[in-house]
Amino acid sequence: MNKTWQVALHEYQRHVLTRRFLFGLFSVPFFMVILVGLIFLIISMNNNTTPLGYVDRSGLLAHPLPAPQVKLPDKPTPFRAFSDEATARQALQAGEIQGYYVIPADYLAAGRLQVVFTKAIKSVPRQQFYHFLEINLLANVESSISTRLIAGDEIIARSLDGSREMSSRNGWFGLFLPIIAAIGFIIAMFTSGGYLMQAVVEEKENRTMEVILTSISPNQFMTGKIFADICIGLTQIFAWLVFIIVGIRIASSSISFLQGIQVSPQLLILFVVILMPTFVMVSAFMALIGATVSEAREGQQMISLVSLPIWIPYMLIGLIIGNPNSPVAVTLSMLPLTSSLTMLIRQGVTILPAWQIALSSIISVVGAVFAIWLAGRAFRLGMLRYGKRLTWREIFSRRGGTA
Amino acid sequence: MSAVEVTHVTKTFGSVKAVDDVSFSIEKGELFGLLGPNGAGKTTAIRCMLDIFKPDSGSVSILGGPMDEAKKDHIGYMPEERGLYQDITLERCLAYLGALKGLSPSQVKESSETYLERFDLAAHKTKKVKELSKGMQQKAQIIATLLHKPDLLIVDEPFSGLDPINTQLVKDLLLQQHQQGVTIILCSHQMNLVEELCDRIALIDHGRTLLYGDLQEIRRKFSGHAVIVDTLDSLPSLPGVEQVDKFNGSLKLTLSPSALPQNILRELVENNINLDGFRIAIPTLDEIFIRVVKDESR
Repeated sequence: MNKTWQVALHEYQRHVLTRRFLFGLFSVPFFMVILVGLIFLIISMNNNTTPLGYVDRSGLLAHPLPAPQVKLPDKPTPFRAFSDEATARQALQAGEIQGYYVIPADYLAAGRLQVVFTKAIKSVPRQQFYHFLEINLLANVESSISTRLIAGDEIIARSLDGSREMSSRNGWFGLFLPIIAAIGFIIAMFTSGGYLMQAVVEEKENRTMEVILTSISPNQFMTGKIFADICIGLTQIFAWLVFIIVGIRIASSSISFLQGIQVSPQLLILFVVILMPTFVMVSAFMALIGATVSEAREGQQMISLVSLPIWIPYMLIGLIIGNPNSPVAVTLSMLPLTSSLTMLIRQGVTILPAWQIALSSIISVVGAVFAIWLAGRAFRLGMLRYGKRLTWREIFSRRGGTA
Repeated sequence: MSAVEVTHVTKTFGSVKAVDDVSFSIEKGELFGLLGPNGAGKTTAIRCMLDIFKPDSGSVSILGGPMDEAKKDHIGYMPEERGLYQDITLERCLAYLGALKGLSPSQVKESSETYLERFDLAAHKTKKVKELSKGMQQKAQIIATLLHKPDLLIVDEPFSGLDPINTQLVKDLLLQQHQQGVTIILCSHQMNLVEELCDRIALIDHGRTLLYGDLQEIRRKFSGHAVIVDTLDSLPSLPGVEQVDKFNGSLKLTLSPSALPQNILRELVENNINLDGFRIAIPTLDEIFIRVVKDESR
């Protein structure tokens, strides 16, 4: 087997088959389950299955159609008709109902309702009552049309060349899915990058590097390590993806908004053409940091030089979502380290011009190649330097890289 | 044919000349001692030999030509400070280092098992390297260096941290490799072992070669024209003897430039001195080392 592969395989096994990695791998899904559980809990707190009363003076609900079915995590609230407001009030005071609506005689013309409660009616039963009213307002319309009216319209924005489109149905999930994916990717990138940096520092500290370099060239060694780093990160991402897909499959049977989830092909393209080169770039920078510092702690401090630019778009997320085609958003989309998160945020709210994707990708690839070159140079100079940090001046000096 | 040819090699780091115009040649199959105090430039010279560092000037020929990637599989290098992965098992560590030398998994297994048995480490192969004692790690490092049956072996302080039994084991191993035709460069501060094992040496200090050549020649050169006499009798004044000093329980007689040792022996016999021993005062390598390095410092 090629020596570069040997290095990659060794690095991969050394980090993936450890408790630390497995903990990292499973802790994220674990915390996601906790988070989803908390969301369910919060939603369920908005449920109230105590009946909701109504006094219909308009005649709309004289022979009411049943309320539309609700989907989990919502729970159905029973509706109870009262002939007059006094009876409804008595029921409310007795705690038999959580509140009641008064539908005035001119409701169809004025569209005005009154609501009476002792404690504010929560959003879930309130929404259910509105759907109940809507379905009865549309009682004389063909059911397929009434259902579609209640569901609302789907607006699809399409690019001029027809190659890209985005749907209003994606809603908040369509907006946040790329951001969540990018954040997951960045976490995986820095987790595996951290392993790479630490491994290089350790190999310097315990002199293993000196032995290795009498068997393999620095370039082969670094290439193997960067490749392993990317594979470690992708393993993490793949495991999380499997978990998310299985989770969505299981949950979609009871959570309505999960049923229509579609991953945009553009999102996958952005992963390949922008996030992957960024991953290579970050890996190379991690190798560079490992080669230049004299101890792991110092390396941890230097990681912020790489991580800070990556997270800048996250700090400006409001600005980017509010104006996804502003000069700031476009500029951040072009800069090597900021492009990945910026592009994925913008992808959720606008149609990205093809030229921007292409240019950002080219810049990311060039950035990755530059980072590998720089890391190689620093690696050759700093690989056997013990107890003394390599300076930027040395890396960029004419004799740099000839150790 | 030279296995290693170092010609006028200079390597500078900033304002420090780590290696300054160093030249030496090592014959194929030779057991060569590379000596020098700490920071003398030995390790930098070795790294230049192994192409880890590019010399600023001069040239290195190794195993018949410039260093290249293919030659790395024929060289075994054991650095002074141990270089093993601490958090993996010894078995896996050897498998990886062997694979990087181009060995197949079966070759690594066969070779490592032989050496693990020989070094009494077979029972510890499933332990993590960090769980092994210093001496065991030292032996493991030696195994990693020998796994691929190198043609050129460079060992830096191989006896460090070893007890007398294991020192003998490593010494025997080096001699066995030497007998099998392996070229060995031995860097060590243990001069008695260098004297015992090496035929030729180079002594480096402050990056420069201070001594280089046949060990016996060097010792003779430093003999200082003196003889050592073992006797309990008092010595009379002898012609040709300039000075008498006590020396390790014996007497060291410094001779005048024209005096010959055989004439001194005759004089001692004629004066009825009871002799327990008489020998030419050839200094040990340790003494030569100290003397040369001290002179250099002045």
